[in-house]
Amino acid sequence: MKIVVLTKAAVPLSSAIKIDPKTGTLVREGVPLTVNVWDRDAVEFALKLRDRYGGEVIALSMAPPSGIPALESLIGMGVDRAILASDRVFAGADTWATAYVLAKTIEKYIPDYDLVVAGEETIDSTTAHIGAQTASWLGVPYVYYVYDAEVKGRTLIVRRFLEDEGVDEVYEVEMPAVISILKGSQVPREIKLSRKLNARERIQIVSNKELNLEQDCVGLRGSPTMVAGMAPATYPPRKKVVIQGEPREVVKKIIEILKQEGVL
Amino acid sequence: MPCSLWPPIKKEEYKGVWVYLEREGDRLKDVGLELLGKARDLAQKLGGAEVGGVIVAGTEEMAREAIYHGADKVVIIDNPELKIYTPKEYAEAIATVVQKYKPEIFLIGATKRGRELAAYIANTLTTGITADCTALEIDPKTRDLMQIRPTFGGTQLATIKTPQRRPQMASVRPGVFPKPPRDTNRTGEIIIEKVEVTRKTRLISVEKRLEKDVADLPPVESADVVVAGGRGLGSADGFKLLIELAKLLGGTVGASLMAVRAGWAPHTRQIGQTGKTIRPRLYIAVGISGAIQHLMGILEAKTIVAINPDPHAPIMENADYAVVGDYKQIIPLLIEEIKRLKNQQ
Repeated sequence: MKIVVLTKAAVPLSSAIKIDPKTGTLVREGVPLTVNVWDRDAVEFALKLRDRYGGEVIALSMAPPSGIPALESLIGMGVDRAILASDRVFAGADTWATAYVLAKTIEKYIPDYDLVVAGEETIDSTTAHIGAQTASWLGVPYVYYVYDAEVKGRTLIVRRFLEDEGVDEVYEVEMPAVISILKGSQVPREIKLSRKLNARERIQIVSNKELNLEQDCVGLRGSPTMVAGMAPATYPPRKKVVIQGEPREVVKKIIEILKQEGVL
Repeated sequence: MPCSLWPPIKKEEYKGVWVYLEREGDRLKDVGLELLGKARDLAQKLGGAEVGGVIVAGTEEMAREAIYHGADKVVIIDNPELKIYTPKEYAEAIATVVQKYKPEIFLIGATKRGRELAAYIANTLTTGITADCTALEIDPKTRDLMQIRPTFGGTQLATIKTPQRRPQMASVRPGVFPKPPRDTNRTGEIIIEKVEVTRKTRLISVEKRLEKDVADLPPVESADVVVAGGRGLGSADGFKLLIELAKLLGGTVGASLMAVRAGWAPHTRQIGQTGKTIRPRLYIAVGISGAIQHLMGILEAKTIVAINPDPHAPIMENADYAVVGDYKQIIPLLIEEIKRLKNQQ
């Protein structure tokens, strides 16, 4: 099994978020980036499949060079090698232009892949687009919210959970295919320092010189969507009324609030 | 120069506001009907454009229901192979129909299945898409759709446009827009389209999953009232009280990361930056201290009531009503009192 895991070197905390005032896009250069938390579920899932069926797990990411430590951690987790698609012309990409670079990198460097695994969504952008868009670029089937899988020849049997309907579904998918992993469904293994030591040697950096993609189709210029405005989100100010006292009195006051809110 | 992978389009050929109408068995999900209401509003702002709907393997009865809720035209994709949902095949079929009818705007409900379909459809149509919009407006100058969504952990509100491509696509979560009234006097056109797909995915089985204790309660994102518990509950038993209270209030239960880690509630109930972002009318936080990651998930709650023995816990300083006390005393009394009031009615 040759398994590609799509990972994002994400901005881990909202306090670290910086917006480019010109383009309204997220500034990732020079900002400490870590592996998107839910991609660690995807990596764990891929490693388990490799442990069971043999083969190789390759992490793939599009990021500025500050994304290298994130890939080193994944190698520390057990990923065999990593590819970082990194070029200034990729900056400011929306999900269409990002998935395009990822798919083209797979086609060029891992053409014999069997499976692409993605996290359910990212913590900083939360679109859940990349899995489906990469599948579309590659022209292969895909299934989201997977938490278990089994391989039978060229078929992947996946079990997935659809939370809003409360159902488990089992699908049979022809490989190669793309799956996204239900967030929180895996317990990611630890990052081993010993594996991380020479991690840098296992990371291949490819720029657009090698990929040779039309500049108008990548990054900000290649993005069908554009940010027209960005404003700090405002939220209802809180009343901050303190209620204390004897439990029966307190309950009386809570009942009043519930009536006021129209839930009683 | 635009990207050469973008087939040249004539923007003026794209007309109307269309909606994907997701089925659940034999009925349409509410989210599609909600979007028809928003589509009518946008169509009006575009000078009386047409409102359309797409149903995969649906019935004429479903199409009529969509017309009663605001559609002028409904396309039913008729292919017995598509009776059962599979992601790639549905996305391809929907994209084929959208390509044929060329709406200016195409909206999709961001249910779990909707999220799975939306980006594949957009890619097939070589257009952009914005996820989980909370507002949609029309730019009066350019007629572009302004797709507004919270982003970067909810700290920012972004306005996204798709100026060069059509259709303009957005997904919207259930409950963001109100469901329009049902008007059985409305008439519209029902069209049957046969669409072929290449099958690469097959459904083998479906089972209803029962998460113990919380199985019959709605998901946290869609409930009006959410009663959530944290480490301060002290044990899984505390959740039984919260479930009882949530049921009495017609709501659901949620949990903090600590309560999920302790195994008292499933991960699907977790509220916060690494869980769910919720916007209920009323949020009751019980025994939750209120780490910043948790607070990020409840920014948009209309009213927050926090019950905690520590008046200085962060949640208490970020609540509308900070109730200082022991939940083990307060919640049973509260349940008792609500039951008494309900019996009087």
